[in-house]
Amino acid sequence: MKVLMSQYLKKVKPLLKHLVFELSKDFNYVSVLGTDTKGKTYDVKRTGVDLNDSFWNERGFVVRAFNGFCYSEYSFNNIDKDNISEKIEEIRTSIKEQLDELSRNNIRHNEYSLIDEEPIEKSFYGEVGILPEEVSSKDKLARMQQMMEKGFSFSQQLVDFRVSYDEVHISKVFISDKKDLEQSYIWSEGYLVPIVRKDTITKYTYKGYSGLKAVELLDEMESGIEYAVKEALELLDSSPVEPGEYDVICSPDVAGLIAHEAFGHGVEMDMFVKKRAKAQEYLNKPVASSLVTMHEGASAAKHVSGYLFDDEGTLASDTIVIKDGILQTGISDLLSAMKLNTKPTGNGKRESFERKAYARMTHTFFTPGEDNLDAMIKSIEHGYLLDGVLSGMEDPKNWGIQCMLTKGLEIKNGEFTGKIISPVIMTGYVPDLLKSITMVSKDFKLSGNGACGKGHKEYVKTSDGGPYIKAKARLG
Amino acid sequence: MIDSVKEILKGRKDISGWKLRLTNIESQELFFVGKSLDMNRSKNVQHLELTIYMDYEEDGKKFRGSSTAEIHPTYTEDEIREAVEATAFAASLIKNEYYPLVKPREKNSDTFISSFMQKPLAQWIIPVTEAIFKADEYREGCINSTEIFLDKTNTRILNSEGVDVSFTNCSAKVELIVNWKETGEEIELYKDIEFSDFDSEVLTNKVDEMLKLARFKARAEMTPKLKKSTVLLTGEPVNTMLSYYYSQANAETVYNKLSRFKTGENVQGNTIEGDAINITLRKNLSGSTESVPYDADGFPISDVDLYDEGVLKRYWGSNRYCYYLGIETTGNIGNIAVKGGSKSIEELKKEPYLELLAFSDFQIDDLTGDFAGEIRFGWYYDGVSTIPITGGSISGNLLEAHQKILLSRELQQENNFSGPKTVKLFNVNVAGIE
Repeated sequence: MKVLMSQYLKKVKPLLKHLVFELSKDFNYVSVLGTDTKGKTYDVKRTGVDLNDSFWNERGFVVRAFNGFCYSEYSFNNIDKDNISEKIEEIRTSIKEQLDELSRNNIRHNEYSLIDEEPIEKSFYGEVGILPEEVSSKDKLARMQQMMEKGFSFSQQLVDFRVSYDEVHISKVFISDKKDLEQSYIWSEGYLVPIVRKDTITKYTYKGYSGLKAVELLDEMESGIEYAVKEALELLDSSPVEPGEYDVICSPDVAGLIAHEAFGHGVEMDMFVKKRAKAQEYLNKPVASSLVTMHEGASAAKHVSGYLFDDEGTLASDTIVIKDGILQTGISDLLSAMKLNTKPTGNGKRESFERKAYARMTHTFFTPGEDNLDAMIKSIEHGYLLDGVLSGMEDPKNWGIQCMLTKGLEIKNGEFTGKIISPVIMTGYVPDLLKSITMVSKDFKLSGNGACGKGHKEYVKTSDGGPYIKAKARLG
Repeated sequence: MIDSVKEILKGRKDISGWKLRLTNIESQELFFVGKSLDMNRSKNVQHLELTIYMDYEEDGKKFRGSSTAEIHPTYTEDEIREAVEATAFAASLIKNEYYPLVKPREKNSDTFISSFMQKPLAQWIIPVTEAIFKADEYREGCINSTEIFLDKTNTRILNSEGVDVSFTNCSAKVELIVNWKETGEEIELYKDIEFSDFDSEVLTNKVDEMLKLARFKARAEMTPKLKKSTVLLTGEPVNTMLSYYYSQANAETVYNKLSRFKTGENVQGNTIEGDAINITLRKNLSGSTESVPYDADGFPISDVDLYDEGVLKRYWGSNRYCYYLGIETTGNIGNIAVKGGSKSIEELKKEPYLELLAFSDFQIDDLTGDFAGEIRFGWYYDGVSTIPITGGSISGNLLEAHQKILLSRELQQENNFSGPKTVKLFNVNVAGIE
């Protein structure tokens, strides 16, 4: 089913064009991004049910203007035909007053050139299996309630079995003197979270589902209930790992986390501008095993960050970041590309209209290889199959990596022993980790659950994944 | 806009209650690369959050459903009606245990007044910028980049029971990245500094402290392969570690059976071999962005004694979850004050230790007590000499460690946390490198 564009943004577009026209009298470049994102979050747990607006909901605008040396921005969410003149004046005054204050105090500034755009008018409307409005909230909650009850039927040791589902309908317009872009698409995500307890030990796990999908995601979730409970129960008998370096097989989720943290954040080119990325020194040099090829881009896959244009009006692309182990290039927002004299890759994303755009990831993944998972397991004398992503953190400057994982399944002499380690912290020096990759499976999976931050803020939706990979990693 | 929404709500006899939370946010933001401004931003936005409550009875038992939605300032009268209708319908689908709404109470007095309120926000951005860069005076080290966000938020909370409270709060957030280079590779350290009251000297000192840490990190060696070690956490990781006691005492966590802490019991066990935990939740903590007079329901906040010598005195939480537990409401309080321990930092450092000050992202699992983090900077004392270290990770479980935990007498304050500067843990897993 085709996703429909926000009627509000369609209606307000002439006002935005007027705003750009008027502000262009004072500033040599003006653009405006308009957003109207609507979504609902459904949560079902043992003690109750919640149905609220999604965290991602927003409706507002951000103006970007060239101030003669760099760019100024103003975010607002109140505009109509009666206050448009007032709003234009407010934006003009606010930018100028801020600049005057900075100039009075001799604050140095960077120099940017004027954004040079090609004329373009384009639109994109996504498709999903079942639109959110085709199924009532009551029916969605009833299905989720059934999932919870089914989960509870599998074990007396469950403290809770939580089911959550988020459907988000994004509409955006981007208007400048030369650009008229609009897009509308839907992504959804769901979680099954069993929480189990035995005596004093509490453990939990989650199974995540996501994609450029809507209500059809609930069908997928139903199939994972028994496995999720079984996995949580197994964790009750887990133990901490003996700290050290091991041969590991990373599941597609964990491989995706490595791609994301190791070389996704590491090649965000606003970090190149700040000289915060070690990757900059390694362009066209080997950074990984020759088995590694890595893509990044909104058009590289159909998943939660699958848009036509980014939040700066740049069209999406598919960037090959690493090819056969050699670092090729990075991903960038528009301003960083201008500063570095490179081509913007359509990776300028904002948490919302209220925040600045940065170079951000979209879909980040390793491509599949030629190996079979069975052969990979057989090849390990003593190591672990790592699975379940809790969180990750980048260190683009010094190429450290932190991955918090749910579990590792012990392998000895090519066989699973049945022993589970949990939780697991995997750390290491990125090139060492990537160069240690010796086997890559034929499988491929992307996951788009949760949110990606830059540092400890600026949360955006991304997906990552890949095949199973065999490498050497430090576990603790 | 509030009046339009109230008028529409008044006409809905099927609605059992409502809450409106209006926030007007004004923001000034500067983004620097080195000492040069890369972008300036400002913001003026309004958010109106509507919660509708619907009550019903089943088999003689009362239930309450609720749903929350944002009423955008650009909504037309028809869109507001549609949003109210949709939110009321959503609330009617929710079957949760009944709880009453917050009722009007005496206004909260003695609230924290921020210096940021003394003049327009735009006039503070330069003093804050200058305080940050004042510390940037080293030859080998510098501020790589910084982002400064100043927010002024006017909040008004109303509900159908007659609550109508307003307050203004200001907050500043500084994202700071510093570099240092000596003979080896250039290194960086990252820190978020948050505050609600401006003290130029305090801010300069925090930046200077970061630069000095960076200097030592540049000289750091790889963390030794210790496997197990006594670990001292100093600075920000202490806040993260001790936040476990805060989350485990939360009424919602308790109601959902995700906490095993019971009031009247010593959560550290009956035989504490280290320091006992003493925690107070504070309405006002000077300079904290969490110092607000009312919580999100409009409930007036007061100080609450949470733990006394390891004994959980009471749970804390919102009106809803405190009602569920049959306890007096405290409101959601965001300031945590932990009493210092029995020993000085010097005394804590008598035997060999690994002292960790900066991690990639130190975390503790609120549910299980598992903690872990990749080490970005610390000190290793082997009983003879002390060297700066980096790399590798630590992991452990607070519930297994807190019988023997030691807290320093010296205190620190990081935004909404006031407490020991250092904590000492024994027998912690260390995945070292060399």
